[in-house]
Amino acid sequence: MSLLYASNDWYPVADAACLARGPRKTRLLGTDLEVLGPFDDPVVTDMGGRRFPVQVRYDHLWTTIGDDPRPLFDIPEADEPGRRHVPCGVVRVKCSPLRAVENFLDIAHFPFVHTGILGAEPHTEVATYKAEIREDADEVWATNISFYQPQAAKSAAGGITTRYEYRVPAPTAAVLYKTCPPRPKAMDVIAIFVQPRSETDCDVWPWMALYDDTTGFADLAQFQQEIFLQDRSILENQRPVKLPLDPKLEIPTRADLTSIAYRRWLKRRGAYYGALTDQT
Amino acid sequence: MPSMPVGLSRDLPPKRVMRASVGGQDIVVWRASNGDIAAWDNRCPHRGMALSHGFVRGNALACLYHGWHYEQSGRCSYIPAHPDLDPPATIHTTRFGVTERDGVIWVDTSGTAKPGMLTESLDALRSLIAEASETAVVAACLRTPFEGTMPRPSDSSLYALGTIRLALLMNPLGPSRTQVTVLTSTGLSLQTRHALSRWCETLRRNAEASGTGDA
Repeated sequence: MSLLYASNDWYPVADAACLARGPRKTRLLGTDLEVLGPFDDPVVTDMGGRRFPVQVRYDHLWTTIGDDPRPLFDIPEADEPGRRHVPCGVVRVKCSPLRAVENFLDIAHFPFVHTGILGAEPHTEVATYKAEIREDADEVWATNISFYQPQAAKSAAGGITTRYEYRVPAPTAAVLYKTCPPRPKAMDVIAIFVQPRSETDCDVWPWMALYDDTTGFADLAQFQQEIFLQDRSILENQRPVKLPLDPKLEIPTRADLTSIAYRRWLKRRGAYYGALTDQT
Repeated sequence: MPSMPVGLSRDLPPKRVMRASVGGQDIVVWRASNGDIAAWDNRCPHRGMALSHGFVRGNALACLYHGWHYEQSGRCSYIPAHPDLDPPATIHTTRFGVTERDGVIWVDTSGTAKPGMLTESLDALRSLIAEASETAVVAACLRTPFEGTMPRPSDSSLYALGTIRLALLMNPLGPSRTQVTVLTSTGLSLQTRHALSRWCETLRRNAEASGTGDA
């Protein structure tokens, strides 16, 4: 049931850099796949030779193994002129794909997990913000978030109070809009695209679309990789491994409004792949 | 599940946190600045993070993920995201029985911890984990000589190594994985204790080499 729902979404399975190194053997929703280049004309098959549809969006190669796929979500900012696209490679994490997304939506952990970069004591307070399920788009949104950050981005010269907005367009993807240090009126875009290898293990593909013309590509990608490696030390030590959707199993507070909305939205959709439910 | 030895008191000084396991239950054991010890389910009630990765602040254990503080009673005392909030009493960890005797920490997941009774006063030597069953560790003990002498069984968990008395306290971690807490006669020289510690290493190798996974 949950696999059937999940199989009709699109998932990233490669970026240009990894395909340039050769074919990628990988796994999606428990199915072993092979991804063959070139990046602009790729082929995705299972071990039996069955071919799956592919599309290139947001500097990644996407595929779906379902018979009736929903369209891949749109990120309009990807087409805005002047933004630099930075695919940040892949981070393997032994956790539920849904826990990986939920962690990305969480700001209260910054002072403890990303100490000195995205947060620092004593600046731990999470001010009231708004989280909602937007019925028209059927997406989770969190807005009006602000948080003090010692090193909000590679381009930040020092500590600033950063504004954040989150958008969850699909169960295994999240987009963050945050204050762009060199252009205070613009918002940088940072996303994670999660490739669920199974319900308890995933490949996370961070991707950015930034207004930063000065920092080298490698430095930008490395900054984001470092953040994710810090998150991994948390994500691989949460129990249960699958994300509980029953609010009695994990106690939230006001700072967790986005997480509460995300869990409710998953439940409403029946997006249970990687979730702990009565059915599983 | 009876009370089980999970480690040595001296390996857990104030402000330290360790991970333990009893009967398959994942456990965090930690010591507050004031010396008090506590043993809990190794899980933060907020988002399920292992508390054994946490840190001690004063007399509270803080979770590494969001810094939630838990006092020795298990009650949540501070949520950094809401510094002015007095956390509701419903937020608390799952507590287990814990006590210390003869330098050994005992945990009981089903009630008050009662240390195993030793027939004589002994000193804690060390704690080690062998990839072998409890039976294999006992068997290996009886064929691992110490300075030319074979250990002789004395009491239930007591052995005689010449004039030295030795206790092996077992905490089975799986069919072929055992935590062994070793105690010895009091008043031994540092040199003898070092030699006994090396003997423990040989014991472990012998137990693991016997390859009997019988539980």
